[in-house]
Amino acid sequence: MKRLLRHLILPAAFLALCAVPWLSNDYIQYIFNLVLAYVVVAIGLNLLLGFAGQFAFAHAAFMGIGAYTAALLSSRFGVSFFLALPASGLLAMILGMLVALPSFRLKTVYLAMVTMAFAELVQWVLIQWKTVTLGTDGVSMPWPSIWGHTLQGDKEIYYVILPIAFLAYLFARQLLQSRIGRAFVAVRDNEIVARSCGMNVALVKATAFGVSAFYAGIGGALFALALRFIVPDGFGMFQLILHFSIVLIGGLGSLGGSVIGAVVLTTLPEVLRGFQALQEIIYGVSLVIFMLFMPRGIAGFLQAHGWYPREILVRGWREARAGAGYGLATPLFRTEREDGN
Amino acid sequence: MYALTLICAGLANGALYALLALGLVLIYKTQDVVDFAHGELFMAGAYIGFTVYQLLGWSYPLAFVFSIAGGALLGILLELIVIRPVVGHPHVTIAMVTVGVSYTMKGVVRLCFDSDIHTMPPVSNSSVSWGGVVIATQSLINISVAILLTVLILALFQWTRAGLRMKATQQNPRGARVVGIDTGKIYALTWGLAAAIGAAAGFLAAPVTLVYPDMGAQFILKAFAAAVLGGFDSVLGAIVGGFLLGVAELLAGGYISTRLIDVASYLIIIIVMIIRPQGLFGRSAVVRV
Repeated sequence: MKRLLRHLILPAAFLALCAVPWLSNDYIQYIFNLVLAYVVVAIGLNLLLGFAGQFAFAHAAFMGIGAYTAALLSSRFGVSFFLALPASGLLAMILGMLVALPSFRLKTVYLAMVTMAFAELVQWVLIQWKTVTLGTDGVSMPWPSIWGHTLQGDKEIYYVILPIAFLAYLFARQLLQSRIGRAFVAVRDNEIVARSCGMNVALVKATAFGVSAFYAGIGGALFALALRFIVPDGFGMFQLILHFSIVLIGGLGSLGGSVIGAVVLTTLPEVLRGFQALQEIIYGVSLVIFMLFMPRGIAGFLQAHGWYPREILVRGWREARAGAGYGLATPLFRTEREDGN
Repeated sequence: MYALTLICAGLANGALYALLALGLVLIYKTQDVVDFAHGELFMAGAYIGFTVYQLLGWSYPLAFVFSIAGGALLGILLELIVIRPVVGHPHVTIAMVTVGVSYTMKGVVRLCFDSDIHTMPPVSNSSVSWGGVVIATQSLINISVAILLTVLILALFQWTRAGLRMKATQQNPRGARVVGIDTGKIYALTWGLAAAIGAAAGFLAAPVTLVYPDMGAQFILKAFAAAVLGGFDSVLGAIVGGFLLGVAELLAGGYISTRLIDVASYLIIIIVMIIRPQGLFGRSAVVRV
């Protein structure tokens, strides 16, 4: 019975979320759209930072690339949004795998620094390459159309964003329970052990960067759709810090945490709209307080009190080890060769 | 002559990058912490100078002294309150704590002074012309302060008791504690020193960059580039890296395209990290399994 309920939670949540447009006005609907876009972006960052342990600072740039690809393709070339969306994900993914190259040699702050430089470079290109990106003037996003019907208004595009965000969450969950997800965690916990277990660490890192950037690209496209107008400044340092805050305050290494973080940190600035100083202080102070007192974020806090189930990376683990101690901190290593030889 | 003028201006900018990078390197060497809030300490130095000189109307040298002392105090407080509890934690945690501090400081300054852009007069408006090369007096002061502070710090490490203790803590904190060094005091001292240098840089930069809450954001990136170029664990490297970056930026801007001024530092970070991650003067880390 309990298991059945657990399987019903997600479909029920999906149905409940489908009903939101009947209850909301345009402004609340806009915030819902924004939150869902951030959920996708944050899950991507969490895969890279929380699960694969790569301290990279380029996530806002990937999001910018995704947003710009979607917006430019659909506004200037008339491509349908439903083709532009995968294109933006793929372009971000290719660049993400390119950014993975330095991660083969560099770690921690050095990796952070080089990816930060890459991110600033991307922003510079968005500003300077005026013939394509229109520079600081920004790009506006047309309403998407499907089979001759144009989806207009925040409430209609919600039905585009919601299924995509939901699929993104489900895909991430499946990915983490597969051998790829466990390889991420092994590389995070101990790269040398992972390598000596026969894993191709470089390939794992490239995959992590690629998947993470793909999520950022898709999230960026959804962000452009929700916001309807994007400028290069929107994808700078502040955006990046927002992503990090979502993932860390929500809970590092927890998919549910990313969702919680996206909800909290996207709505908070809306409440404080217009008070930049207060926004900055609240962001800054809450980041410091969470890092000092709740380093596992909101999800970690809820899990410690048993109010939120722990997320397990191995399928069937719960059934096999009922009652035994488990948790994300337990390193999970495979002993066979990963490449299947 | 054009080239020489560019180089001199580059050295003047580079001196400021070098001072910021110096603080970053000191903190990194001692605690393995990369201080993303250093740009805001720089900003705080400028604001303290602005408050003392423009709002209170006290003398210019006094404003400089106040901004250095204020910076040092701020650095020590930061270390004691927020950095000490997270030393040794994962890099993400430490980095995000300093990012949080940086946003809080920006917010507090914005709350007190608003987002307005304030001006600060230079030390002197005169410039020295020497065989066709024009150097502003302010530039000469920047360069000499940077060199003076570096020499002082190298001397501190070489000859004073406190400096030797700091060096011991940098090399092996546990060993330092075993032989009776109060590493906590050393940590606070290092932060005080680094923040004071950053605040001094902010005070010197204020006449050129103007005083506003976001003034540190660009500078910290340049300081990162300078530190990366010189080697993140080398005091000498930070200074040389800073000057090199300043000159390279202006030469690239003057001869190729002015747009390159902004990206030179990012390109330098990427190139150095790919070719020689330990930088010019740094030692490559040896990982023992």
